[in-house]
Amino acid sequence: MANNKVITLKKTGLEDAVAIARKGTHCGMCRIDFLGTGLCPSGKKHGYLAYWPQGRMELVKHLNEGRIKPTEKLLEIANSCTLCGICDKQCNFTTQLRPEKVAKALKEYVKNLDKSEFQNVPEDDILRGLREIVGDEWATNDPNIIVSYTMSIIPPDSELKYYITMPESTEQVSKIIKFANKHNIPFLARSGGTTCSVTASYVLVKAFSLDHGIVIDLLRLKKLEIHPESSTATVGAGITTFELQKAAYTHKLRALAAEAGAHYCSNIATTGIISTWGNNYGSFADNFVDVTQVDEKGIITKHSDIGILNPYSAETGFANVTMTPSKIITEAIVKLHPIFDDEVAVFVPFTHLKDALSMLLKLGKRDVGLSLAVLSAKYLAEFLSPTFQISRDFEYICKNYMKLNWVVSVIGTKDDIKIVEEMAEYTMDQSLLKSLILGAPRFSALKDSEFLRILSEEDDPLKALFSGPMRKHLEKSLDPSPEQVAKVYDTDLQDFFKKVYSKPEMTDVVWLHAFRILPTRMLRQRMFSGPGGSIWSGDMDHILKWIQMFADVGDKYQLEHSLGFITPLDHGNFVYMEYDYFFDHNDPELGHKISKTFIETMEQSYVMGKVITLLDYLFKGMYRKEHVLYPIPEGISKDDQVVFRQLLESVLGGEETW
Amino acid sequence: MVKFLSEEWITYGKNFILEKLDPEKDLKNITTSLLCVIENVPSNETTMNLYLEFQQGKLTDIIVNTGDTFTEKEAVFVITGLYGTYKDIIKGGMSLAMALLRNRLKLKGSKMEALRIIKPIDVVIDSLRKITDEFEE
Repeated sequence: MANNKVITLKKTGLEDAVAIARKGTHCGMCRIDFLGTGLCPSGKKHGYLAYWPQGRMELVKHLNEGRIKPTEKLLEIANSCTLCGICDKQCNFTTQLRPEKVAKALKEYVKNLDKSEFQNVPEDDILRGLREIVGDEWATNDPNIIVSYTMSIIPPDSELKYYITMPESTEQVSKIIKFANKHNIPFLARSGGTTCSVTASYVLVKAFSLDHGIVIDLLRLKKLEIHPESSTATVGAGITTFELQKAAYTHKLRALAAEAGAHYCSNIATTGIISTWGNNYGSFADNFVDVTQVDEKGIITKHSDIGILNPYSAETGFANVTMTPSKIITEAIVKLHPIFDDEVAVFVPFTHLKDALSMLLKLGKRDVGLSLAVLSAKYLAEFLSPTFQISRDFEYICKNYMKLNWVVSVIGTKDDIKIVEEMAEYTMDQSLLKSLILGAPRFSALKDSEFLRILSEEDDPLKALFSGPMRKHLEKSLDPSPEQVAKVYDTDLQDFFKKVYSKPEMTDVVWLHAFRILPTRMLRQRMFSGPGGSIWSGDMDHILKWIQMFADVGDKYQLEHSLGFITPLDHGNFVYMEYDYFFDHNDPELGHKISKTFIETMEQSYVMGKVITLLDYLFKGMYRKEHVLYPIPEGISKDDQVVFRQLLESVLGGEETW
Repeated sequence: MVKFLSEEWITYGKNFILEKLDPEKDLKNITTSLLCVIENVPSNETTMNLYLEFQQGKLTDIIVNTGDTFTEKEAVFVITGLYGTYKDIIKGGMSLAMALLRNRLKLKGSKMEALRIIKPIDVVIDSLRKITDEFEE
């Protein structure tokens, strides 16, 4: 698709914009109003990804590479941006990027274009048919819009033979599918798109994305109703977790929440809601009362329909691996849970993973706490730190001076916390956690301080710090305040961030756990791949051996890697573990390494047994956990390992391409 | 080169598999049968059936007919999908396994057993690719 006539952005001297655009990671946080700024007016009005900061960055990247030629639509995309600055605030909070610079550059770029050289994009029969279903505005074959879906459902090297359509109802989704089938055109639904983004720069993109056909963008299915009397909510496929949680909170109810920007229905369809609240609130089909779904033939059904085939049972093992959801969920009635007046958060710090895991399992098996997890020091540092460098220093201090490698994070009622405090010698309470959030810049600046040197010489630095007088010294030296945190942001954003950090919820660990706005900081200008899965909790040595396997594979491929979190499941019978490998998504060499780590860790997990891998989780969220987790799988035989390899080769190509 | 699912295609395909593929090396001595139900065949949206039977790695039967039901033989595996999907597979745009994993083909029969014969079946598809370049549009 490269075209010599294209005036690249480089030639117009706007390399800065391209550099920013390349660092975009499709986290999707610009599509939710998590800082109270309101939403991007352009994206809200036009819907297609190209009109959101996320998609505009992708578009600029490909214009620069000459992959597409400007069309008439490009003018509309560029000029629809009002330069209101909302995207800068949102994106800066999570990734420190300034997408508005990209939007400005695009505006400048289109000013200099010769309209006579615009690519003409004629309407064909397929587009005409789609427009008859959804209306003229909501179906397109314009490459300038299509390309913005790259890295989120379209592979980076595809030929852009797509139609993008945005239905507003289940009936329209059904009609699109029937239309696609009639014309033998493949289709795939898109919601938040983060699963595809995370895999987009490596080999699994072949398995998850659409090579050509119709992209069904579900953003316009915006129905959201809270039913306090039944503690349920009706959620359309265009509703994000953040939006649902915000609405639920107004009724003192809470949804089981995973990523803030993920669309709730697609999150159910993709992996089920994997969350630290899962031990208490449930997993897989526990999370919904009913779903409305459209199957591959366009037939609309609900799980509550009498006469449908049992939708809840799944095969076990890698024979049941699927790469797309069996049905598109267009609407779900999901369960909500009560918020208690006496909910509190407490973290228990640990040096050794075995000790942290042991406490987690004790709590999980006794159903103590609403949200339970072991978090690595890396997660703690990434979440709490406003910038990447601060997170690096934060993590360094935790590990090297404090011997704080893990925390058991507990959210529960006061009764729950009493049990935790009786089990733990010392804890980090809400007050200290607030100090660490507001004092993170000062904390990271303590890196080479006398205070930390003295602390590190203690036999048990954690005890000395959290149960002794040194805690007071630490809190004092942090000088925690919204002003302190705001200082690390760009000058023009400091006033804004001072106000943001002054909001009570920004330092309320319970709120932060429920709304999940901080984990996106893991996608700070780089990607991560997070394989893992659930493992039977009955054999601690087996769990530790399994986790070590992920670390060994990370070392083998010389990747930055770390255990992310572990959370109990099904009353502590299992634990879910995510292990993260970080990489620059613009580096194909690293992409190959990530492919290898994913495949190798999944294969080894099958061999080790007692593990339900992330591959098994994919697109099983609508099934009963009893069918996905049980029977607990034994390790696969050598013969089946060969079959697994053959399956991968058939799906992904030969090993040399991984 | 012949048209996918035509009389000539059946003859060419059968001869190619029998003459060029080694029952042991290429087809791993498989004994199985596979019915491919091909829906929505242009231009009149009919359903076609392609039945393949192997004994000890040797192709022993191949049947192609039209109709919503296939009663001639009972296959171990029945794979159902759109003409467009089969076209993608034969043209090499997508592997059979990928089409199964992406729900573009529906399998009736044990998925694990089907995965065990995926390699020899891929070899058969590679062979059919060599003789087919014409499809209904």
